[in-house]
Amino acid sequence: MGTSVELTTRPSAAAGFGRLRRRRRPPGHAAQMRFVALSLTPILIFFFVFLLLPIGIVAWLSFHRYNQLAPVSPWIGLRNYTFAFQRDPFFRNALENTLKYALVAVPVNVVISLPIALALNQLRWLRALFRTAFFLPVIASAVAVSLLWIPIYDPQYGWLNGLLGWLGFSGHAWLADPNTALWAVLAAAVWQDLGYNIIVFLAGLQGIPDDFYDAAKVDGAGAWHRFKDITIPLLQRTMLFVLVLTMISYMQEFTHIQVMTAGGPVHSSETMVLYIYLKGFQDFSMGYASAMSMVLMGIVLFITMAQMWLLRSRWEY
Amino acid sequence: MADLVVVSPVSIARKRRLQRVGTILLYVLFGLVAFSFTLPFLLMLSSAFKTSAEIIKIPPTLLPANPSLKAFKTVLTEAPYLTWYRNSLIVAGAVTTLTMFTSSLAGYIFAKFDFPGRGPLFILILSTMMVPFPVLLIPSYLIVDYLHLLNTLWALIVPGMVSAFGIFLMRQFIAGIPNDLIEAARIDGASEFAIFARVVLPLVRSPMAALGVFAFLGSWNDYLWPLIVINDLNKSTVPLALTFFNSQHAQRYDLVMAAAALAVIPVIIVFVIFQRQIVNALMLAGMK
Repeated sequence: MGTSVELTTRPSAAAGFGRLRRRRRPPGHAAQMRFVALSLTPILIFFFVFLLLPIGIVAWLSFHRYNQLAPVSPWIGLRNYTFAFQRDPFFRNALENTLKYALVAVPVNVVISLPIALALNQLRWLRALFRTAFFLPVIASAVAVSLLWIPIYDPQYGWLNGLLGWLGFSGHAWLADPNTALWAVLAAAVWQDLGYNIIVFLAGLQGIPDDFYDAAKVDGAGAWHRFKDITIPLLQRTMLFVLVLTMISYMQEFTHIQVMTAGGPVHSSETMVLYIYLKGFQDFSMGYASAMSMVLMGIVLFITMAQMWLLRSRWEY
Repeated sequence: MADLVVVSPVSIARKRRLQRVGTILLYVLFGLVAFSFTLPFLLMLSSAFKTSAEIIKIPPTLLPANPSLKAFKTVLTEAPYLTWYRNSLIVAGAVTTLTMFTSSLAGYIFAKFDFPGRGPLFILILSTMMVPFPVLLIPSYLIVDYLHLLNTLWALIVPGMVSAFGIFLMRQFIAGIPNDLIEAARIDGASEFAIFARVVLPLVRSPMAALGVFAFLGSWNDYLWPLIVINDLNKSTVPLALTFFNSQHAQRYDLVMAAAALAVIPVIIVFVIFQRQIVNALMLAGMK
């Protein structure tokens, strides 16, 4: 299949005999190539301008002092990078916050979403209804979700403090305390994202053939053994997929933080993307912001590569 | 072995009863978990229907004492909410349509045509999938500025027209279509574009729907990119406008919650109607 086109267009031994080659092409070959050129060229131009070129520009900018308003943008080598790592405490703070946030959010997310998916998989009725309940926050906009969590955390009129007071505890200014702000935002973000992983886990669970469980039952394996020896190993690929995707998305956290705390109080919830945004679009130090973007890209690419490597080695047995 | 044979009918009945109790417990537990999960949405609605006086009661009341639509009325009359909605619809609609079109067309070409440079080009497209968007914020802004698109809806549409993930997804599915079908259409004298539109597209409806759902939700809910390229309230999309509205009316939770509810409810309604398709689409895209 596809070879009828492939064979004739490949430069072959007949390359020297132009006439011969042309005659062996199927009728309509010219029309096909015209179709390819006409439809692919505009798409590739957009691909180049909006996906490929930006990667080149961000790399280029990271070695320059760049400000859109300044007349010159001198090459400064690695100085943006050395400044970030050696002299900018806020970069270090943002990097630490991002890592803390991602490294806590990922396990919390998985520890909640996996059991829910496992339980959902056991339900015979109403599964769609429950699935909907868990999935609704995923499709809502992150801004709306952030806004609806702000009154929950309000120190005076908030629901959370209201509930705590009813239970006999004292309230807390969740978003105004540097010790809790990041975690309060994290709770809202995880609440919003859980549904997605529940759906992915559910898809993974439903992909395990029933035969495996039936065979294990015949052999007398109990529920725990079936879970431990069939579900867990066969869910590994899904698990890796979820871990990496969730990790990467939490590394890019911006919206919940920006709306709920704006990085505060005193930078305690400032993440990398927020700091890049502030440096690039409020201070207009776009060269420096680009260098920080390159660092973030490096981290994300490293995680992606690690996933690909792990999946490859797992695929072989 | 002998044990197995002499299980009395009584103990089987007891086991069944236990199982049934377990099932009921599971459902009750699930109902509680699911209910508490939707609680933030319910609290949002409750606040939206409260009066401005009730919103600052301590402790907060669970349900509005005398529900009023006043907050919704204020939001719709005092803010250009319908303009924001229209902007969001235009942008998300255009991005969705264009992404579906360019992805399926490019996917078809990469799957079914051989042309010089096909392999390296495809790998190049794939490799850009790994780069997260926030990293490209600054260069994308500079490019859109260079094209004089800042502060127009075009700035939200044009960069979203081509999706590397979309091209990849469609190529994978179109590769599975038998070449005979395409050749047969060719012999019948169909033009190349007609083959794409009438033979290929109808066969990849479900991945197309998946891609459409993804593109729409991504565009509809996007915040970071509009935040940077739009600074005119009349050209705002809903998420961007919501944060502006919030900054104007902080502490007036009744208004902010009404505005948030107006943003969330339509999406929820659409989701509930098309939920089977949407969930299937997301699963499909998730598994790649």
